[in-house]
Amino acid sequence: MNLRSFLVSLLWAPLLAVCVSAQRPVFAANAIEDTPSGTLYLRHSGQEPVTEALRLATRMQVQVTGNVARVHVQQEFSNAGEDWVEGLYVFPLSKDGAVDELVMRIGERTIRGEVQEKAKAQARYNDARAEGRRASIVEQERPNLFTSAVANIAPHTTATIEITYLETLPFRDGRYTLNLPLAITPRYTPGAPQDATAQMPAVTAALMNAALGTTATPEKVTAARQRVSIEIELEPGFALGEVSSLHHAIQTQSAPSGKRVLLHTDDAPADRDFELTWTQASAKEVAGAAFAERIGGETFALLMLSTPQQLDEAVPAREVTFIIDTSGSMQGPSIEQARAALSMGIDRLKQADRFNVIRFASDYSKLFSSPQPVTDKSRALASGFVAGLTANGGTEMRAPLETALSSPADPEILQQIIFITDGSVGNEAELIKLIHDRIGEKRLFTVGIGAAPNAYFLGEAAVAGRGSYTFIAERDQVGARMRDLFAKLERPALIDLKVQWPEAMSADLAAPLPTDLYSGDPIVVLARMPQIASGEVVLSGLVRGVKWTQRLPLTTVGDASGLSKLWARERIGALSRQMHFGGDGEPLKAAIIDLALKHHVVSEFTSLVAVDDEVVRPSGSPGHVEQAATSAPVGGAWATVGFAKTATAAEIWLCAGFACLALSLLLTYTRFRRPALQRPLA
Amino acid sequence: MSLAASGRVDSLLKATAIAAFAAGVASLAVGAWIPVKAWAAQLLIDAAWRREQTLSQIAVPWPWADTRPVAKLTVGEGRAAITLVVLEGSSGRNLAFGPVHDAASVAPGALGNSVIEGHRDTHFKILRTAKPGDRVTVELLNGSRSVFVVTDVRIVDSRRTRIVLDADAARLTLVTCYPFDAINPGGPLRWLVTAER
Repeated sequence: MNLRSFLVSLLWAPLLAVCVSAQRPVFAANAIEDTPSGTLYLRHSGQEPVTEALRLATRMQVQVTGNVARVHVQQEFSNAGEDWVEGLYVFPLSKDGAVDELVMRIGERTIRGEVQEKAKAQARYNDARAEGRRASIVEQERPNLFTSAVANIAPHTTATIEITYLETLPFRDGRYTLNLPLAITPRYTPGAPQDATAQMPAVTAALMNAALGTTATPEKVTAARQRVSIEIELEPGFALGEVSSLHHAIQTQSAPSGKRVLLHTDDAPADRDFELTWTQASAKEVAGAAFAERIGGETFALLMLSTPQQLDEAVPAREVTFIIDTSGSMQGPSIEQARAALSMGIDRLKQADRFNVIRFASDYSKLFSSPQPVTDKSRALASGFVAGLTANGGTEMRAPLETALSSPADPEILQQIIFITDGSVGNEAELIKLIHDRIGEKRLFTVGIGAAPNAYFLGEAAVAGRGSYTFIAERDQVGARMRDLFAKLERPALIDLKVQWPEAMSADLAAPLPTDLYSGDPIVVLARMPQIASGEVVLSGLVRGVKWTQRLPLTTVGDASGLSKLWARERIGALSRQMHFGGDGEPLKAAIIDLALKHHVVSEFTSLVAVDDEVVRPSGSPGHVEQAATSAPVGGAWATVGFAKTATAAEIWLCAGFACLALSLLLTYTRFRRPALQRPLA
Repeated sequence: MSLAASGRVDSLLKATAIAAFAAGVASLAVGAWIPVKAWAAQLLIDAAWRREQTLSQIAVPWPWADTRPVAKLTVGEGRAAITLVVLEGSSGRNLAFGPVHDAASVAPGALGNSVIEGHRDTHFKILRTAKPGDRVTVELLNGSRSVFVVTDVRIVDSRRTRIVLDADAARLTLVTCYPFDAINPGGPLRWLVTAER
């Protein structure tokens, strides 16, 4: 074969090959490996395939007695697979709940959990897991976000744990509200990958936090629905008026002392928080209540009262800066609610007021360079600006907050900031500190938007901003909730609040008394006293410059009421607030640990751990970790898809082909170029 | 060098050359086969499309196919326009035959984000020249046509990004791999063309 004919054949080869291979069945060939895409599952590790052996079902039983709710959250981890599994679940809980019990049920036996320092609890759990014993741990990731883990779930078995917490139910804006968070809005952390559902190995939450820093989002959140059933025993201590559930269809039954509320989510969605509200049958002012519990020689007291309603009077002029979140997490119904709330807020401004609007996502922009008087022209400009708002991008809250907080102070006018957001941020502490440090004489109010807003952030931001908050979960609530908010905005309803205990006793308050209380806001005071207290508590303050007083008789309750735990939880909250505001970390941390251990509650530094003595898995591996998906809120931006492999291997094959032919050519050429003498005689 | 040794080297060279030639031809065949298959499949799918549209019965492009055509996509204008039939389901197998519609996303033209993916070196080669203002037309089986205008063209890292399916308007997202000339088919970058109606 000479060189020329060789080259010609080289050119023809691919075409020939195509013709030959065209004889084979055409489409049975699967040239490219199937690449799964569009799945929201996370892989366990780089190699392991996606298997979802773990199923999780949640049952909640709530006992409401007066102003306190005891909530039992039962989590059932079912292992449908052939291997041992360690189950992990990240779940939302009430931001104010005192989590004090963990019970692991194994057949007839129950194993009670103990509160221990976080590291110690983890070590105990890890040892039990390695030794093949059943164990479970509950940790607080954020004040309203917890994780539970259950080790050594045998194939085809179910492990059940029950977590219990206590919380107070204040009378707020004319109603009592019980909120059971069921879904998590994935948090945005500046600088982190944009999407919380992006692939992240599902190791334990502790490891995740260590690897990603404390501000990362460990949630595995999917649009998948969780199975939840809820049962509530309502004993309010008064004749019930209206009982309603915001998002879910409920069944109610009359019980001797109140009502039974049932919810089964086989047909009700768990992709939004469960919210039950109730009112009194008679419209008279809620009298308020004062309870005392005696435990270990100390008395713990809880006072609850609503702030006096103020009359509609002339309102001083205001400067209102609206900040509206237009980040990706606000997509769908949330941005509509936010736009409606903002429009209504602008509509309610008066002639003498000034206003401005700041929108933010990854960046921010202002309607006016500085607050402008309310005129027809400025209103028209604002409504055009609001109508053009769409949700897209990250949640960079710092810059817009700084801008709003740094507008020049004006003592002649009430300066208010209305912050409309779902609060889906991971850098909560940094933002709350910013508000606390810069608020000055301004006041910040938060409007929580969506089916599962970050209530912790919205509440804490309002405390730091010396304002108040409201939540808007549905489009048709916008009017009513903005009216609540505007009633608060007029001016503080009550200032200079003081509490006088019986026998002039000095009390240790769990948290400092609020400086400004707004119309419809509750007064909640938790106190610890060294002696036994009985008698009357006197609350006093100033309402529009006039002295106001209220007397409440102190009712003694049994020591199972958990007032001491509620006090401890509130105090821990106050201490961690101090920590976030730059207090001395180590002594505060030690104080939190002491309190949590003494009162047996979970905190950011203490966890509940339950370990069984019996070894159920004598040998072998503890299996892999599987994380049960947490429900994402309805209608949000969490419905996402990944990318398929959109390139063929054609080029690689062609390159390889040409490389081989070139090699063959080179070899042939070398062979023929060798001196004739050295060539063997043919 | 002895004559025998020289002979051994020579036959070794010859054998290697033949082996390399054979491997080269086979590789070229496989490489050339991919675009041929992509092109031929479109012909069959187009026939299935017409059958489905005229006879209004569910038509599969070939008897053992596990997918069916969902839309006809026209990218570009005038002479440069290319019409492709889009298949349902973004599996690697479907991608070999045509652009695919991600079944998790809404149908093209409906309210929300409709995601269509294609190979950068076959069907979606044409996206290389896409720029804001270009028109993309989508025809559905029921004959309804939607004209989209490209609003954004960008490169994203598929490891750190996901496509949001919710949108305030009818949106079309066309996805292909990037860079267009890369040899490695497994790269993380994607070329994203967003069009709105």
